Amino acid sequence: MAIIKYIFLSLVLSVPAYAMDANQLLKQVDRNLTPLSYEAYRKLINIEPSGRKKEFVLYTAKKGKDKVAALFLSPASEKGRSTLRAEDNMWLYIPNIAKPVRITSLQSVVGGIFNNADILRLDYADEYNAVNLVDQGKEYLLHLKAKTKTVAYDQLRMWVDKDRLSPIRIECLTEASMLIKTLYFKDIKDFGAGIVRPAVVETDSPLYKGYKSVMIFANVRKREFNDEIFTLTFMSKLDSLR
Amino acid sequence: MACKFKIMKFFLLKRILLVVFVLWPVFSLAANDYTFDLSEIEKKPYSIGGFLEIRPVLSGLNRDSAFYRLKYFNQDPESVLDEYNMGLRLEGSYEKGKAGVHFRTDTVLRYDDQGWSDDIGVLEGYLSLKPTTGFSLNAGKRVVPWGKGYAFNPVAFVSRPKDPNDPTEALEGFYMIDVDFIKSYEGPLKTLAFTPVFLPVTNDINDDFGEADHINFAAKLYLLLWDTDLDFMVFTGDSRTTRYGLDFSRNILTNFEIHGEAAWVNDFQKKSIDSQGKLTMETADVLQALLGIRYLTANDITYIIEYYHNGGGIEVDDAENFYKFIESAYNRYLANGDSSQLARASMLSRGTLASAKPMRDYLYFRASIKEPFDILYLTPAITLIVNLNDQSISLTPELAYTPITNLELRLRSAFLIGAQRTEFGEKQNDWRTELRVRYFF
Repeated sequence: MAIIKYIFLSLVLSVPAYAMDANQLLKQVDRNLTPLSYEAYRKLINIEPSGRKKEFVLYTAKKGKDKVAALFLSPASEKGRSTLRAEDNMWLYIPNIAKPVRITSLQSVVGGIFNNADILRLDYADEYNAVNLVDQGKEYLLHLKAKTKTVAYDQLRMWVDKDRLSPIRIECLTEASMLIKTLYFKDIKDFGAGIVRPAVVETDSPLYKGYKSVMIFANVRKREFNDEIFTLTFMSKLDSLR
Repeated sequence: MACKFKIMKFFLLKRILLVVFVLWPVFSLAANDYTFDLSEIEKKPYSIGGFLEIRPVLSGLNRDSAFYRLKYFNQDPESVLDEYNMGLRLEGSYEKGKAGVHFRTDTVLRYDDQGWSDDIGVLEGYLSLKPTTGFSLNAGKRVVPWGKGYAFNPVAFVSRPKDPNDPTEALEGFYMIDVDFIKSYEGPLKTLAFTPVFLPVTNDINDDFGEADHINFAAKLYLLLWDTDLDFMVFTGDSRTTRYGLDFSRNILTNFEIHGEAAWVNDFQKKSIDSQGKLTMETADVLQALLGIRYLTANDITYIIEYYHNGGGIEVDDAENFYKFIESAYNRYLANGDSSQLARASMLSRGTLASAKPMRDYLYFRASIKEPFDILYLTPAITLIVNLNDQSISLTPELAYTPITNLELRLRSAFLIGAQRTEFGEKQNDWRTELRVRYFF
């Protein structure tokens, strides 16, 4: 009986310690992907089953754990559009309309599989709790649960390379565990100043059979920004940061 | 034997074609190695771009309507009119250090039943100074559109009203000096921004804004407070009467946004019309307000619904009087050829029932579905504008498609439905179909 009690107590007490390790691992994964504040250029490619592509190039600025902005540099039809996220608030600025409008994280300003939450992503650890960690030999499998209902995906399953502590694959799921999309992290690249991360993120989705979206990173570098940059009034002026 | 061989060859060929067809995307993806040429992100001090547009339009005339009679009383046009528009939008900038110049122009060449016409206009052209991230100053012709509404903006005190039938179209600005002060904070108040605007009106500039020879002042205070966008506005000056406004916008859920606007306009000149076409003005303070939502469903349908109350709008009885006056003016013309009353009615329509959404209460509804049937960049939509006072409606289905990068196609038809002596029932057209082709460069 005492042995059973001991085993039970050990299991109960081990859960928080294990969860904490998983969350620490998640924070380390975040830092290995990008500095807390940084700028980067990204190319988004939507690929249709026929092989036809549409490309978007964005400049991105992020500050701290809750502010990120992106400016479309091409194609010409999207040039000058910008998106801003401050915590769970998101806006889209279209030069024609000349004022920001609120958008939601589940919408997509580029079409295809990437939605606004993918384009204006915050740190995973800021939006998710790691609820389980499974050692799978060369990889860890992290089970993540959204902290609030306002997060785009309720659950994530993240496979992490043990050596690099960098994600290999992430499955995004609904509350009912339905798979929405899978992200594949590829092409580890040294961006300088200690930033070594996957340069390519591919995405597919059972909701868009045969379609694929790709995000390519360039010039990722640490940079500090003033808070005022991440405001509605500055959305039309983001190009001045480049 | 030869026949059997031919059949086998046919099936083999069919199978090869099937395999090639099925695997073609795989081959083309496999052949991809993603490239990101750094020349694509190189920043130049200047930029120039825009689009070329071709827009043919067909309009079905409503020969019994008041506005048809006003325009065509002495003509006999075809029942369906065609119109061809060719446009060039040019926009660009040059930046050096913390200063820059920006412009946006529109050139339209049109051919319709009245012949050829053209229109060349500067929508915006201004100088901007950005000494710090928290301060900027702009001077020149600018569009400063205030308000959170999608189709209507009662608090847009220093910009032209948008067309609710096409609310995302670029507007023409006014000449002004405007300044932005921005400050960010930690805590529930995250952003505070103050925007004063100086807008002069003379006989040469901004002459269509209001009374000439005055310098007007407007200001907006923006707060991001408790995750809600809040704006407070004021306009004062002698070109228009003093007005106060506020708006808000907030995301309730990841797929649900709510917004609203309210403007209190002092000393508004409310218009009323009698059946003899006599216009009388009454000075009163009026409320113009809007409440709206934007909702995204799980199957990617976006709904935008807005209720707009225009406290200064024409009342139903006055609108009926106006239409009765046109009827009697038209009958007079038919009886004795005297068109003077029709000319008077035409004058009267300007600033009253010929302007956009002239009456009291409107409901705006738009549903658009993103990429149905897995067709990327295709967006079908339907827009409904209901005049709640006379129950007439404007129904506009549309298809927008971007088949290749930078080429945008939009096909839309508007159907105007309403009884006699209602806003949409008395428009010049019953329907209107247009194809808009834009190539961006």
